[in-house]
Formats: sequence, C-alpha cells, structure tokens
Amino acid sequence: MANDPLLKVEDLHVYYGSSHVLHGLSLEAGTEPLSLVGRNGMGKSTLCQAIMGLVPAARGEVRLGGERLNGRRAYRVARAGVGYVPQGRRVYRSLSVEEHLKLVGKPGGEWTIERIYDTFPRLAERRKNGGGALSGGEQQMLAISRALLLNPRLLVMDEPTEGLAPVIVDHVVEVLREIGRSGVGLLLVEQNLSVATQVSDRIMVMMNGEIALETDAESLLNDRALRNRYLGVAAEA
Amino acid sequence: MIETLADINWRLFAIVTLNGLTLASLYFIVASGFSLIFGLMRVVNMAHGSLYLLGAYVGFEVSEATGSWILGILAAGVVVAAAGAALQVSILSWMQGQDLRQALATIGVSIVAADLMLAQWGGSAYQIALPEAVSTFVPVPVAGRYAMARLMLIGFALVIGVALWLILNRTRIGMLIRAGVDDRRMLEAMGVNVPLVFVGVFAIGAGLAGMAGVIGGSVLSVSPGEDARYLLSSLIVVIVGGMGSIPGAAIGALLVAMAETYGLAYTPTYGIVYTFAIMVAVLAVRPQGLLGRAA
Repeated sequence: MANDPLLKVEDLHVYYGSSHVLHGLSLEAGTEPLSLVGRNGMGKSTLCQAIMGLVPAARGEVRLGGERLNGRRAYRVARAGVGYVPQGRRVYRSLSVEEHLKLVGKPGGEWTIERIYDTFPRLAERRKNGGGALSGGEQQMLAISRALLLNPRLLVMDEPTEGLAPVIVDHVVEVLREIGRSGVGLLLVEQNLSVATQVSDRIMVMMNGEIALETDAESLLNDRALRNRYLGVAAEA
Repeated sequence: MIETLADINWRLFAIVTLNGLTLASLYFIVASGFSLIFGLMRVVNMAHGSLYLLGAYVGFEVSEATGSWILGILAAGVVVAAAGAALQVSILSWMQGQDLRQALATIGVSIVAADLMLAQWGGSAYQIALPEAVSTFVPVPVAGRYAMARLMLIGFALVIGVALWLILNRTRIGMLIRAGVDDRRMLEAMGVNVPLVFVGVFAIGAGLAGMAGVIGGSVLSVSPGEDARYLLSSLIVVIVGGMGSIPGAAIGALLVAMAETYGLAYTPTYGIVYTFAIMVAVLAVRPQGLLGRAA
C-alpha cells in the first residue's frame, strides 16, 4: 500500500541459541537515510541479518513496503528489493571484480555495470582482479556495487567503513550520501559516529537489542552526556 | 639383491605406470563429483559410492538391452544425476547446514541402497561389454601394447577435467558455484536461489559418479562392495588433494592411484600402506589438503 513505510520492523525477537539478542525491536524507515549506532554486541548486525532472512526471527515482523519479509529465504528477501552490504565485506575471493558484477547485474535496471564503473573508476581498473586481491577500500566499493546492482529499494549496510583508511572512509561517505539522495532507502549500521551523522540526519541508538533512543545528528553531536550514556568511549573515535 | 639401472624391467614399469594412470583417471572422475558436492554444500556424501555402483548397474542393463555402450553411459549419467538430485531434495535439504547429520543420513542411504542393489543384481560380478572398436590393443612405446579401452579411459578423464574447468571458469553456473564455495550465504543474499544451485550441483556430481561406474564396470568389473571401495578412494583422494578443489582431485587421484599401483606391483605386501602413508603425511603437513584452503 502507498502509505506503508519502506521498512517497518515490529516487535522483533531474535535468539542465538539460548541468548536473546533482539528484544522486541521496532523501527520504521522511509527513503530518507537512517543510521543505527550503538556499542559492540548490542545486536546491530543481528538486526541486519534478521532483515535479510539470514537469521530466523522468533517473533515479530519485518515488512518492506507493507510486504512481509520474515520467514522468507534470503534470496527472496533480496529479490523483494533489499540489498545487503555485510560486515567484513565478504566479497567472493574466487571471482574477479567483473564476475561479481555480472553475477548480480541485469540489463535494464537503474544500476548497470557501466554505471558502476562510472561511479567507481577504480573497480573498472581492477576488473580482472580477484576479490581477494583487492584492498579493503576496493572490496568495500565492490560490496556496495554488488548490492546496488540488485536495484534495491532498501540498502542495508553493516559497518561499511570498518577497518578502512580515513581517506577511503571519506570516499565511502560521499558514495553513501549520493545513494541516499537517489531515492534508495538506506539503513546504515555504524560504529563511527562521524560517518553516521554525515550520512543521515536521523539517528537511532541501539542498546541491549532494542532502540534506546531516536534523535538527530546535530543533537547527538552536540550532547556529550548523551553520547557517553549511550555510546561510551567506543563512539568517541 | 640390488637392481642396477640396466636390470630394471622397463616394459613392466611402463605397463604399471599406464595401469596407474588408468586407475587415477577413474578415481578422478569419481572424486571430482564428490569434491564438487563437498566444496559447495559441505556435505560429505557417504552415498557417493552407491551412486557409482548404481551407475554401473544401470549402464550394464541399458547397454545389454540396447547393445550400445554409449547409450549405457548416457543413461547411467542421467539416471544417477536424477537420483542425486532426489537425494538432495528429499533428504539433505531438510538438514541444511547440519554437516554431521547429513553425513550420517547419507551413510543410512548407502546401506539401504547397497541391499536394494544386492537384491536386484545379486552378488556376482558383471562386466559391461565395450564397443568392438575399442576392445583392441594398440602398440605403445616401451610397454609394447596396451588396451585401447584403458587409454580411452585416460582420455575420457582428461575430457571431464577440461570440461569441469570450463564450466567452473567460463559459465554462469560455474560463477555461481565458485561464489557459493566462497560464501554461500552471501550468494543467497544476492538474490540467487541457492537451494536450486545445490540441486543442480548435486546432480552434476552424482552424474559423474554414475558415468564413472559404467567406465569402471567396463574396464574393470561391477560387483557388490565396489560402492565402499570407491567411496573410500574418493575420501582419500579429496583428503590428499583438498576438499572442494577440482585440480586437487586430479593431483590426489594421481598420487593415490600411482602409489597403490606401484605398491601392488613392486612390494605387494605393503601395497595398501602407501596410500595411507600419503594421507597421513598430507594431514600432518597440510591438513587442508595439497590444494585445499584452510577452513
């Protein structure tokens, strides 16, 4: 339905064995970028995987534009329009850059292989190289490109700047802002507060498997006490 | 007595070498299917030998009925591929990701299959008749003459090896398989119907075992117990060569078959020891296999 939000997560519970990771998490996101910050171990990656259908939800719902996603296999979630950029990038080391793009790319979509090469000239230079031979930054470009080629309605990104050099981080931020402006929904999980606040105005803080606080970039940056309370020292970097 | 260089029987050596290559070819065809399945799905298919034996019997029946060896091997490939796909869909897909349970289930399947085949085909050995054209001997340097059928088997293994390489490196399905071997969950997250790819790969691997059964049944023979023998050889080959690697399967098959053949020819008492010595040595130095990746 037209009035349904792009992404709606409601009362989501996820367990890993006997440990309860997500405690009835709810959130809504539209086409405006949304960043999710929080300390390690608060369930951010689990939320991404649960949206993708990579871990099963015990209770609750994930909906994309009103369409129920949970209970579907991951490939059906992807085909419904969710692109996933996983933590650690996870490019295929036996596939060349070009093969990565061919694996996902289809002619006629908004994002084509040519457009990817225009956006990331570095990938065009490295097209014959294997995924394992790329630098961290190049791998991240590839992981983002791979997800974009699905022409997703929503892009779920799990710590895309983790382990990258500062100059590369700036480039990734540029790319994320551009994706955010292009009308693709963006759910960005970040440890790096500066990246999160540059990419989105709307910020949610996760704590113990729940959304503890919803705020905007400016308040979070200006309120040191707030940051200390929810993010501790980890986010000061 | 120490042999001098001149005393070595070069003719015997050449024939033993060719026998070793023949056996290596057969091991490669069986083990490549086994390795392909393991590489993608992490399933140790303990019923792989049963698929080999089923292929041999199907090939025997069809070639007897039609008088065509070619039809026999094609039928075996197709029937066993279907059996493999059925095994994946009906049993293994229900326990995806539970490696041990899957291995145990396939042991169960292999026991049931062995008894069913025994009931159907009895305990005696069969030989699948080769076409007249290849039932001859051809002159070979040093060795004198050698069975055409055995040389063809070596050629067939080369063709299979090249075909597998081309499929894996030059086709879309090969791209999917390689990506799946690297990270099957990320492959699925990219919108690829991974369960379907699994069924396809299981069918290819099983079909290879089925065709190998017909070849083995023509060059050697078919009888109950061959299932366990080829399962064991596949296991050793992929442990030595590296699980999931096709070039590894080729190297493993060569090493294991050569050791076995030379061992039996020159030191019959210790023949079987060499195979396991190689396996132990590889496991000690490179536990992931010669061309395998660390898990």
